[in-house]
Amino acid sequence: MSLYLIAEFREKERAAAAIRSLRAGGIAPADLDVFSEEPAEFPRGVLDRPSRMSLVAVTGAILFGTLATAFIWWTQHDYRLVTGGMPIFSLWATGVITFEMTMLGAIVSTFGWFLWESGLARRRDRSAPVPPIEPGSMCLRVRCRAADPNPTIEVLRHAGASDIQSRGEA
Amino acid sequence: MVATAIAFVVGAAGLAAWGLQLHSGMGVTGLQRPVFWGIYIVDFVFWIGISHAGTLISAILRLTGASWRKPVTRAAEAITVFALMIGGMFPIIHLGRAWRFYWLLPYPNSRLLWPNFRSPLLWDLTAIVTYVTGSVIYLYLPLIPDVAQLGEHNTPWRQKLYRLLSLGWTGSDREWHALERAMKLMACIILAVAVSVHTVVAWDFAMAIAPMWHSTIFGPYFVTGAIFSGIAALVLVMAILRQVLHLQVYLTKHHFDRLAKLLLLMSLLWCYFTLAENLTVWYGNDPKEMAVFGARTRAHYAPYFWSMMFLNFVVPFVLLGIRRLRTIATAAVASVAVLIGMWLERFIIVVPTLANPRLPAPSGFYTPTWVEAAITAATFAAMAMLYMIFAKLFPIIAVWEFKPHPQEED
Repeated sequence: MSLYLIAEFREKERAAAAIRSLRAGGIAPADLDVFSEEPAEFPRGVLDRPSRMSLVAVTGAILFGTLATAFIWWTQHDYRLVTGGMPIFSLWATGVITFEMTMLGAIVSTFGWFLWESGLARRRDRSAPVPPIEPGSMCLRVRCRAADPNPTIEVLRHAGASDIQSRGEA
Repeated sequence: MVATAIAFVVGAAGLAAWGLQLHSGMGVTGLQRPVFWGIYIVDFVFWIGISHAGTLISAILRLTGASWRKPVTRAAEAITVFALMIGGMFPIIHLGRAWRFYWLLPYPNSRLLWPNFRSPLLWDLTAIVTYVTGSVIYLYLPLIPDVAQLGEHNTPWRQKLYRLLSLGWTGSDREWHALERAMKLMACIILAVAVSVHTVVAWDFAMAIAPMWHSTIFGPYFVTGAIFSGIAALVLVMAILRQVLHLQVYLTKHHFDRLAKLLLLMSLLWCYFTLAENLTVWYGNDPKEMAVFGARTRAHYAPYFWSMMFLNFVVPFVLLGIRRLRTIATAAVASVAVLIGMWLERFIIVVPTLANPRLPAPSGFYTPTWVEAAITAATFAAMAMLYMIFAKLFPIIAVWEFKPHPQEED
């Protein structure tokens, strides 16, 4: 079990200042988590969370669309049946299903990646404490890897944390 | 309580009517040669149109950054999901032998014959499956933070339900970032899907070389009508919720005013499409098309057609176009008029064309029976029931989105 420090902030700017100072002191963004009742938006560079969601959505879309089109091609050739004088397979007639399956791929992969990226569907460190959030405030959770947490506590206090608690053990 | 009882009785009557239809066959409906598509298909198109209320409106407003959307979006998204569930049932009811619906699924039957993917019926299935999936996810995603909060203080069974649905949401910045990214992406995707779904429904008709169906503008015409009826449904639902749940603080006159203006805009756009569709037919003077045009505007179906024009154009134009008359009550009245008018529009599109076919076959008439009417009424009751249950279990306004941000307050 690791040592976690939980600092409560009443103002977003103070939380942002604390994060900047901690990162300057060598703490990785992966060890920082901000808990709030609403989306906490910090200026660029403070606590960016790079995402591959768009890429995953496009990949999922292409994959589903291609597989669906290939499936239609195969099934229509597997049992050839001419209907309405149309060719056995044509992109005009399969375009709608290709489009819909492409979109379905984008939807499913976006949702799946949301679950993964947010950490909701990942095996997480269950020992990490989740702070209760007071209305209008936000909590910064710091995973302390250093043997002595006092410098980190000092940084948090200096940034304006209204309350600091430590959980777990180093 | 009274509303629940009425919805239950009407719903039960509809189920009994469907049971009778399953037992006795399609002979209990008014469908007969040459009209093989009746109000089940009308209902299908109508409900799919209503489903455009939520996802489309919510997605457009989200992407354009309209902040007034916040108390409106969840109510709208819920309409979409329930309307799709109901609309999707009608092709199955219309099949007659409902238990054969799985023939549409892509697997080879006993003769190793696969479904015909060139058929617009298959297009419909894939479009609706995609739209249902997208709409459920689009409703569910912003619900997660709210159900996480609800899971903290509630009755034991509700706590279990909310905790299960919240997937262990803690409110961390990783979760918020992922949620916001997913919502933006979903809004873009769902817009394309919503437009495609009603276009595909329109192509169910337009791909047939039938008089007054084989039209290139049917796709956009249907999409316009769908958004039009969707906004009307949203305004009506919001007016009812505002009254029943005492949401006057959240759903203000301002919101109704904005939506009423959108409704008026869509009324004008719908009227333009209707004019374009009918004028070109009249000017072309093709005998087969004129037979349908005459049936719609001067003969058997004329009362429906002119009622539709009155309800979809005159009523909204007067009630919402004149600023002094534009109130929450008149917006609700105009919405009811539009919903009835749009149902009639679907009827006017489906039935007269089939009653006057292009093929050398005798024309006919169609009058729905009580079985069809009961099933149709039951779907409205089902919509009301589903909505009441949803509003009872979940916050009908997205709490985390609507809550003013502390920094914004400053």
